[in-house]
Amino acid sequence: MKKLHIVGLLIIAVAIGVIFISLNNTSSYADFSKAANNPEDEFHVVGKLDKTQPQIYEPQINPDEFSFTMTDNNGLAKRVVLHKSKPQDFEKSEQIVLIGKMKSDVFHANDILMKCPSKYNDGKNQLN
Amino acid sequence: METIKYIGERIFIGQLGHFFVMLSFVAALLSFGSFYLACKKSDLFVFARIAFKIHAVAVIGIIAVLFIMLFNHYFEYQYVFQHSNREMDMKYILSCFWEGQEGSFLLWTFWNVVLGLILNKQLKQTEWEAPVLMIFSLVQVFLASMLLGIYIGDYKIGSNPFLLLREHQDFYNIPVLQSPDYVSKLSGRGLNPLLMNYWMTIHPPTLFLGFSSTLVPFAFALAALFNRNYQGWQKTALPWTLFSILVLGVGILMGGAWAYEALSFGGFWAWDPVENSSLVPWLVIVAAGHTMIINKNKGGSLFTTHFLAITSFLLVLYSTFLTRSGVLGNASVHSFTDLGMTGQLVLYVLTFIFLSVALLLSDSLIRVTYVVISILLWFAALLYGYKKLILGVWSVSSLGLIVYAYYKYFPKEKEEEELYSREFWMFLGSIVFLLSALIITYFTSVPVINKLFGLDKAPPKPYVYNEWMLPFTVLIMILVAAAQFLKYKKTDAKTFYKRISKAGALSLVFGLACSIPLYVIGNEENNISVYNLIFYILLFTSALFTVFANFDYWFSVLKGKVGKAGASIAHIGFALIVLGALISTSKKTTLSKNTAAQKVSSLGTEFDDQKSILLTQGDTLPMGPYLVTYKGKRKEGINYYFDVDYFKPGASDKPEYDFTLSPSVQDNPRMGRSPEPDTKHYLNRDIYTHVTYGVMEMDTSKAYLNAYSDAKNFIGHAGDTIIASNALVVIDSIKADKTKAEYYKSDSEIVVTAVLKAITSQSKVYYAYPQYIIKNNVVIPKEDVINPLGLKFVFWKINPQEGTVEITLSEKNSNTKEFIVLEAYMFPYINVLWIGCILMAIGTGIAVRERLRLLKAVNHQTH
Repeated sequence: MKKLHIVGLLIIAVAIGVIFISLNNTSSYADFSKAANNPEDEFHVVGKLDKTQPQIYEPQINPDEFSFTMTDNNGLAKRVVLHKSKPQDFEKSEQIVLIGKMKSDVFHANDILMKCPSKYNDGKNQLN
Repeated sequence: METIKYIGERIFIGQLGHFFVMLSFVAALLSFGSFYLACKKSDLFVFARIAFKIHAVAVIGIIAVLFIMLFNHYFEYQYVFQHSNREMDMKYILSCFWEGQEGSFLLWTFWNVVLGLILNKQLKQTEWEAPVLMIFSLVQVFLASMLLGIYIGDYKIGSNPFLLLREHQDFYNIPVLQSPDYVSKLSGRGLNPLLMNYWMTIHPPTLFLGFSSTLVPFAFALAALFNRNYQGWQKTALPWTLFSILVLGVGILMGGAWAYEALSFGGFWAWDPVENSSLVPWLVIVAAGHTMIINKNKGGSLFTTHFLAITSFLLVLYSTFLTRSGVLGNASVHSFTDLGMTGQLVLYVLTFIFLSVALLLSDSLIRVTYVVISILLWFAALLYGYKKLILGVWSVSSLGLIVYAYYKYFPKEKEEEELYSREFWMFLGSIVFLLSALIITYFTSVPVINKLFGLDKAPPKPYVYNEWMLPFTVLIMILVAAAQFLKYKKTDAKTFYKRISKAGALSLVFGLACSIPLYVIGNEENNISVYNLIFYILLFTSALFTVFANFDYWFSVLKGKVGKAGASIAHIGFALIVLGALISTSKKTTLSKNTAAQKVSSLGTEFDDQKSILLTQGDTLPMGPYLVTYKGKRKEGINYYFDVDYFKPGASDKPEYDFTLSPSVQDNPRMGRSPEPDTKHYLNRDIYTHVTYGVMEMDTSKAYLNAYSDAKNFIGHAGDTIIASNALVVIDSIKADKTKAEYYKSDSEIVVTAVLKAITSQSKVYYAYPQYIIKNNVVIPKEDVINPLGLKFVFWKINPQEGTVEITLSEKNSNTKEFIVLEAYMFPYINVLWIGCILMAIGTGIAVRERLRLLKAVNHQTH
């Protein structure tokens, strides 16, 4: 057997390893109820800000804690604690992606991605 | 609808522009056809060259027209309207040009034209001219079609940059366009202010030149398959490939520098899909360059060289698809929006894969069968659907044919490679590069994989990439260090170990002496996992090994000559980049420790509770080794600067002023507020800060002062006191308008009222009655306000188990002192990375020059 063939086999082994490990380990998109059923796992939850509920940010006490209520794509609203400072333009966000875990009915997020209406969007409604 | 006669529109120039677009497309098509025929009939050469030159003129024509329109503010054109305005500084006109998709395609087309013309001159009268230029022209046909903007049936092909605003589907019905003299009323939307900096003037052209340059080895490789001459092109393509490594590498690093200086990524590399998709082709082109060198010096590696040269360009195409089709969606912060060209982009990627596989098959029967079946499958997919299934069948069979072609058509080495030979180690290095490229591509493609297989996987986080790349980088470092000390064909193992022993010993001593204290001691605090710990130490040591070994080789073998040391210098640069990235990332320390926070790390390693610090105007706080004071904010244009003074504890504990940093937030009308960091650079470290939260309003107007700031939450029960800045608020009582039983019976509405009694320091008393209403099982809080005190209460939650209620309090801005929330990091030895970048660029440049010199010498001999 040639050395190059060994190299080839190693490549295939690594490739399969990567696919296998990443399929098992990476978090996936889910809704609040799935996150609640698996409190140990990290999920990405997509939803919209519920503007009727208060947004609480007390930087004097903890600048890395901000809480609000988000409604997921199934219409289920849950209280969210984001363990980061309040994002700029938070109120303007059209869509939110939270990354974190559900613990006792509260979603603890370590990161947030927001889709704002004008971000890199060359689209409409911007004439004034 | 009656037609309006518009006044002042400059129609001619747009028509001229569109004429050039059409001309560039037709000329590229003609050039492709005639170069194809010229492969067999040489009398068509003159025509083919002229066609390519006409294409070149047309492309320059498009660019010139677009510039004239931008320069003279012809806002009746959509592209000018969207990307520029009158107020803008003219030095940013270049950025306007490539801000839009069409402009960036144009930039790419332009560089291809430039490279094509040079290549045509270089290859004139050789067997490579016709097939190489044929491939070039074909790529140009596809790129030129991206600007066509014509419809065939319902399919839109390309996006025309010369559309009038009133012809554009997004704008045609806006009111101002209804008046005949609308042109005089228009002003453009302007350039995105985030792009108004010098990086945006130099980064895109460099990166696109890098993308363009990968076309050269691709075109040569396909030409070789076309000519059935696998051997003759590497020496000509090698300088071009090294040039590609240089330019693409510089382009990527410029992107990193821009992200570090001007964006708040919190570092120079975030594994963002857009960054990855320029890194991946670079990794593959580097691998291709190295197998070419093997081939040139010793022969062999033919299949691998062809495969890598082709794959690199295909990955550029794939990146274009990823970043411009909108498929990344939420995964990337800076991909382009969908211009409705997804189908077209997929088609291009598949076409070039198809073409590469077809040319790989030298057996004409198999090739014709493959072509016919591919086309039939494509039609079947169009007519009957099952697109994913058909794509899968086609991909698998194409892959099978590639393997078949490898065994069948490519000459194999008679004897096995020696373990101790330079070619084996270089080959191994190239394979490791390819493998890392494939892994990064796989991770970046998660949104695509989701679409194809109906999965819901989230894109991996940066640490996943880091952990995967660590072992590969260690391997690469060792290979890069040792390979030069091996000769081609065979080296005696003893001599080899003797030659690398000096660098090996030095790096072991230095590496372990530095990295063990750096990572192991005090690790209880840092919480680095064992896996990372081992690989940090290994990488640190092996990167030093590369640096020492290449210096050693440069001075002891090359006798310190700079002209020959391109590879050594580039390798030293590469190792320094790795070393700088390792130290600055792994030893990045958070200065802005949040001491007040409760610990959230119990939720998992992903939760970090020491990030931000609150600075109130005028107060001085300790932060890392400094004392910091937030002085206040100022506004310049749309940027808000937050001035923070840094003091050092001086002699006799008196703070001494050190420096001021002014991180800013841009109130960007297009993208919303985006923070821009400010960094203090030292030789051995950077202090990097950005504002994550700050009140932007500068005005002391009534409107602002009367607005309410963020809410604070209070949990308690009747009798408790809420502390406001100007009063003590006692929860007097909680009253419901009916009992629970009544509520369940009537099933309509229950109103719970909190009676709040606010007592000021002057003992004045005010009342507020916020309400908690449940109507049809939905909670609707009703706020109440004490106007004279500027206090707003929302009663929003009842916790029956605990017997507590939750009420939020917001105060008018006039009540509170100004503050900011800041994140501050220290990046140690990040300059090692930048020095590495410069060395790698210089080294690769020297290598390009040396290879060109050698090529000239060879050509001189043969003529």
